[in-house]
Amino acid sequence: MRSGFPRLSARNPGAPKPGAPARAVVARFATLVCPPEVRTRQRTERVLAEFGLLLAALPPGARRGLIAAFTALDQGARLYPRSAGRRLTRLGDAEAEAYLRFLLGRPGALSDLTRKLTSAVVMCYYELPDVQDELGYRPQPYIEAVSQRRLARYGAEIRRAEAATVEDGTAADSTAEDSTAEDGGE
Amino acid sequence: MTRPAGLTTGADVTAGLRLDCGVVVVGSGAGGATVAAELAAAGADVIILEEGGYHPTESFTASNLRALRTLYRDGGAGIALGRPSVVFAEGRCVGGSTVVNGGMSWRTPPAVLARWTAEHQVAGVDEAAMEPYFRRAEARLHVGPQDPETVGRDSTLFKAGAAARGWAVVPNRRDQLHCAGTNNCVNGCPTGAKQSMLVTHIPRALARGARLFADCRVDRVTRDGGAVTGVTGHVVRPGGRPGPRFTARARAVVVAGGAVQTPALLARSGVRSASGQLGHNLALHPNATVTAFFAADVHGWQGVHQAFQVREFTGEGILLSATNLTPPQLAASLHVHGRELGMLMADYNRIVTAGCLVTDTGTGRVRHLPGIGPQVTYRLTGATAARVVRGVRLTAEALFAAGARRLLLPFAGTPGVRSPRDLHAVLARPIPRRSMDLYSVHIMGTARMSEDPRRGVVDSYGRFHGVSGLLVADASLFPTPLGINPMETVVALALRNAHHLVENRRRYGI
Repeated sequence: MRSGFPRLSARNPGAPKPGAPARAVVARFATLVCPPEVRTRQRTERVLAEFGLLLAALPPGARRGLIAAFTALDQGARLYPRSAGRRLTRLGDAEAEAYLRFLLGRPGALSDLTRKLTSAVVMCYYELPDVQDELGYRPQPYIEAVSQRRLARYGAEIRRAEAATVEDGTAADSTAEDSTAEDGGE
Repeated sequence: MTRPAGLTTGADVTAGLRLDCGVVVVGSGAGGATVAAELAAAGADVIILEEGGYHPTESFTASNLRALRTLYRDGGAGIALGRPSVVFAEGRCVGGSTVVNGGMSWRTPPAVLARWTAEHQVAGVDEAAMEPYFRRAEARLHVGPQDPETVGRDSTLFKAGAAARGWAVVPNRRDQLHCAGTNNCVNGCPTGAKQSMLVTHIPRALARGARLFADCRVDRVTRDGGAVTGVTGHVVRPGGRPGPRFTARARAVVVAGGAVQTPALLARSGVRSASGQLGHNLALHPNATVTAFFAADVHGWQGVHQAFQVREFTGEGILLSATNLTPPQLAASLHVHGRELGMLMADYNRIVTAGCLVTDTGTGRVRHLPGIGPQVTYRLTGATAARVVRGVRLTAEALFAAGARRLLLPFAGTPGVRSPRDLHAVLARPIPRRSMDLYSVHIMGTARMSEDPRRGVVDSYGRFHGVSGLLVADASLFPTPLGINPMETVVALALRNAHHLVENRRRYGI
């Protein structure tokens, strides 16, 4: 399957080259921070795809920073006593979860950064249509229904007002211009 | 897909561009689009340069991440660094932040205008002088309360909770032409009912001969001595890659990129303010959200969000409202992960999210870092932090009064609370500032107005002190935060300042 990360480096010299290692870190992190269904329903690849698109929307500095943060998260696990010198991607579930809770429990910037990385990844998970459907969040049919209701009730008025948007001499303008003429200039 | 006459997008530009006009407007949001429409209506030759893309109404969907990628700057993840850091969002598309805001439209509070006059020496902004501009903005943008059938259950529940406490509640006012209540404001209004600049002042400007260039980032304002000569910049290609360069020569330049981008552009252009205040005084109306779980389905995503505002505490600088979050937004705001996150999110349809907006002071700053871009810093003062805690307490009290069974507070490390007694016990302990989960969509004040060049970056009409032909037209102008949604103030000031510019057009040769 194609990598979820954008292929940025060839066309954007300032962009990082998030290769397989970074992808593996985000995938491992996703299995930790997303609900268990990310694994049981094989959603990791699609979370990665969403994350890749999100990454591509960031400015180059933020992209590099985010990749660096995940790399640090992975390698930082070596310093965590229960990891026995292993990276996050090599830890079992219990050790990885303990490492994550350790980071979240630290005061200051470390927990703040870990929370932000968590937020970025879980956003991608809850963007998946089947996940939203499971929550009972189905906005598109709702939007279509209330849009039709709007047109049925107010269609003629809406069309008149939309046409007036680009017309001169609306009541609003003439009233205001009468008033503003009193302001004078310099 | 409709494509208006007068629009050029980045895809249309294959080689360097040289443009010539009377006025260049940088940015197409509430300030820029309004100024452009007014000047074009007066016969000026206007070019609008917008860094973001052109995304018409029919392209908007319910996909939150798609919107973050296409309509917002930096994926909606701007950060004002501090303890705590504050996440902020800015629009970056044709129509600017008006495309992705909630559309709330309120006049500047009279007390704020009085303060600007008395303390900041801003002329011509008293209530009577501003009234015609507010009236005009409201008529143009169809500002008014919601049609009753569009109000969501989350809003009615929160209103009931506030009413049970005996608090003053008002219907929210929006720029909307019979809003359908899709609850999709932050992803772009899919019906065009929200009267964003995309569907109002931009088409109005184009119909009067203005030219709009989307995907065009302005790098510098150019000057010759003490007068502006135009701007230079580059086309933005997909993925942010730089495309061909452009130059636009103009007799006047109106900068309206918002309170982060405007001072950054001026700073990287080498423009200095004798006041020393360019980029200073940033205020951001910190917001904090309480998540409430109810016993029965609420379906907070059905019906317009923020249908009401609790006005009981405006004297303290606190506004309360129910604001539905999409699943990605809600998941990102909860301080849990894994199985626990899944369990909380499974109750999505029984959740009401409500929060407070608090008036702060201008303790933030925008700096331009060469090679990196704008850096925003913000210091949450003790007084503002206390206001946040009080706002959260009040929000929580209203939610319990509405029947909430359990609440999650926006303070890392605090437990969920199941009763008012729990709430008071939790909040009786000091809440560390760094634990506060804050966000903002109202950035203000970084090029403030004053007639006194030692105090203000621009004068009372947005003219940059000491640089002829350079104007500012966005929320950067505000000498103080408003304590209320800022869009109508930006539009009204833009109408007024454009009017003033037209009256003095000979001076600028436009």
